[in-house]
Amino acid sequence: MTVVPRNLRRFVPLACMAALVSGLGCVTRAQQKNTTQADAAQAPVTFNRDITPILYRSCALCHRPGETGPFPLLTYADAKSHARQIAAVTRSRFMPPWLPDEGELKFADELRLSAGEIARIQAWVDQGTPEGNPADLPAKPKFAEGWQLGKPDIIAKAMKPYALPASGSDNYWNFVFRAPVDRTRWLKSIEIRPGDKRLVHHANVLVDRQQNGRRQEIDPGAGFGGMELTIESEAFDPDSHFLFWKPGSIPYVEPDGMALRLDKDTDLILNTHLQPSGKPETIQPTLGLYFTDKPATMHPILLQLENDRMLDIPAGDKNFVVTDEFTLPVDVDVLAIYPHAHYLGKDLRALAKFPDGRSATLIRIPDWNLNWQAVYRYAQPVKLPKGTTISMNFVYDNSEDNVRNPNDPPHRVVGGNRAVDEMAHLWLQVLPEQSTQEKSDPRILIVEAMAQHNLQKNPEDFEAHYNLAALLMGRGEVPQAIAHFAQANRIRPNEPTVNNAFGAALLAAGRAEESVPHLTAALNARPDYFDARYNLGNALASLGDFRGALAQFQAAVRINPDDANAEANLGSAFAETGDLKQAKLHYERALRLNPNHELARENLQQLGHEVNPR
Amino acid sequence: MSEKFQTLRFFSRALVPAILLCVYSTPLVSWSQQNFATNLEGKPFDPIRAAHGKVVVLIFVRTGCPISNRYAPTVQQLSTQHREDATFFLVYPDKKETPEVIRKHDREFGYTFAALRDPQHVLVKQSQAQITPETAVFDAGRRLVYHGRIDNLYEDFGHARKTATTHELADAIEAAIAGKPLSANATPAVGCYISDLE
Repeated sequence: MTVVPRNLRRFVPLACMAALVSGLGCVTRAQQKNTTQADAAQAPVTFNRDITPILYRSCALCHRPGETGPFPLLTYADAKSHARQIAAVTRSRFMPPWLPDEGELKFADELRLSAGEIARIQAWVDQGTPEGNPADLPAKPKFAEGWQLGKPDIIAKAMKPYALPASGSDNYWNFVFRAPVDRTRWLKSIEIRPGDKRLVHHANVLVDRQQNGRRQEIDPGAGFGGMELTIESEAFDPDSHFLFWKPGSIPYVEPDGMALRLDKDTDLILNTHLQPSGKPETIQPTLGLYFTDKPATMHPILLQLENDRMLDIPAGDKNFVVTDEFTLPVDVDVLAIYPHAHYLGKDLRALAKFPDGRSATLIRIPDWNLNWQAVYRYAQPVKLPKGTTISMNFVYDNSEDNVRNPNDPPHRVVGGNRAVDEMAHLWLQVLPEQSTQEKSDPRILIVEAMAQHNLQKNPEDFEAHYNLAALLMGRGEVPQAIAHFAQANRIRPNEPTVNNAFGAALLAAGRAEESVPHLTAALNARPDYFDARYNLGNALASLGDFRGALAQFQAAVRINPDDANAEANLGSAFAETGDLKQAKLHYERALRLNPNHELARENLQQLGHEVNPR
Repeated sequence: MSEKFQTLRFFSRALVPAILLCVYSTPLVSWSQQNFATNLEGKPFDPIRAAHGKVVVLIFVRTGCPISNRYAPTVQQLSTQHREDATFFLVYPDKKETPEVIRKHDREFGYTFAALRDPQHVLVKQSQAQITPETAVFDAGRRLVYHGRIDNLYEDFGHARKTATTHELADAIEAAIAGKPLSANATPAVGCYISDLE
């Protein structure tokens, strides 16, 4: 903006501000002129008839009291006091927040305004924000108060609040909700109540079956910082559902047969993206869990394309491209898609290339904005046959023209978990088609293909080696599993999960002696690691060190007193060291925990003969 | 410049017709004498006269404007830092915001300097303010030496930096205290339009 010459400054702006804000003579003239011009171009627009339907449908979900929107947009007065702002932000498509371009594939609940709607808002402002006839007002939308799906079956509140400072840049905090269920339940919906919705930009729930998150807390219940998390799982339990909250979202209810299994002792981690408001705030989110009696019969899986290793963006590069592609080993239905980059991401695209050569755009986000990231669910599942190649093409801008660039001046940025690092991820929720000929779980084929693909991209991919090893182990291909466990162990020698699994695989291959150092290392890193105690007990027993085994099984039952196998093996260790009385006691305990425990029963019978020879 | 300053485009579009038409209108100054800003007790108050030769900084805000609110710590910090040489006032141009609402809001956001109400937009006009948050700096000679954004944290709606890289208000205060000229006397701000208020 140029500076107005000094002698004019006192008058001209004075008059023109008057023109814009008060009801003086010249205003009317200005408006009349504008209105005449507008009339020639477009029909009169009134708030009651033309603007309210847009507000009710596309704005009021967030812009109403108690919701995320900074001000309500329900009445004429509400809209009038932000009229020019509404025109500006709809014209730039900053509002309503909807990042994907309009494409062939439709998403559920698209928030995009049509060009006609945007023009109508503009015309309304140009015409002097007329209210119109009260008879034209449509019925006010009805919004549910409180829990959107009624009272949840379980309400879990974060143990401790998080204190968000008044100022500073965006903040990422994780709340650990401890074992909200006491038995296996089927979760059909989860309502995330982040607390003050104006502070929380988005939130994500992760299912932590192994209680990993707790270990990162300094005090129990305090939560922990960090933008991106990796949650490990020892069983084959690939992520299956997007549990995502963004402002204005109504909890998604899974269709019958698609519920998420939630076991006893499973934690839920709420990963939140917070924005300081200008005053100190405390945030203590609540989760509402809704269950169904219908267990899962369909098993979706989250499939990930990524190429963080390609991310090495020179300072100043405006057009850095990252790609990845993956060919589907089975037929799938794509249910939802979630592209993810940080602050340098600019233009994000995903394509599907079908085996017959046709292709379709799965999503295109031409002006990526991390703050409005979302999971996009397709209005209809997108069928992709086996052999379809899904590709991602993400463009990054690391110049100073990108105002979101967290570095000033820009500097080289590589892939990583922090907000100042970058990411190139594309997640798809797919429902694999269960082949009628093959009995095996199609998800295993996907995870295996994914792991192989990741190893091609990066032979040093820790997770790929580990996942592949676990799958091979599950199929009984022990030597191949050992090879990949060894690679994972070489890459991260101190990872207790790998040391334990590697040790278990060696033990399964009859290489007990080699297994001991790995199991011991796992326990050095995590002394209360039940599985590693149990496995080490077995390893020592098979090497004939029954005293050593005894100590491990004793420690194991202290960690988990409900495990029948550990009790039975403790019984055996006592028997081997000659303490038959103790052996009997523990076999009996094992049988109390699991009346069908064959080994405990047989051993107890045999012991009965030895203790009371008849 | 053309790519980065998208907000500039809105302003020039909106202002140009108004200027062209209004230059020819006659009664300009008379009403400003009947109108006044008030303190929270409802008494007429002219911050520029009241400052006794100090630099005066006006910060135009609205309680419900999220961008205004995010600036509270920055503005409060500047007011403390320049306590000796500059007097700060918050100016609330929305006549619907009552003294009670303003007091509560200022307490919550940790503001310790005085707030004024400007329901008739006297200070708005004097400062050429268009947006909340926006600032105006008057030097000891009561001349408007700067009006516009506080810093460049926001480039546009939805285009926020991690931290600001230019600090226009801080620079303007220092220049006004030192009596030195500024390279830019006006910048566009991003936030809620004051002209949307009645």
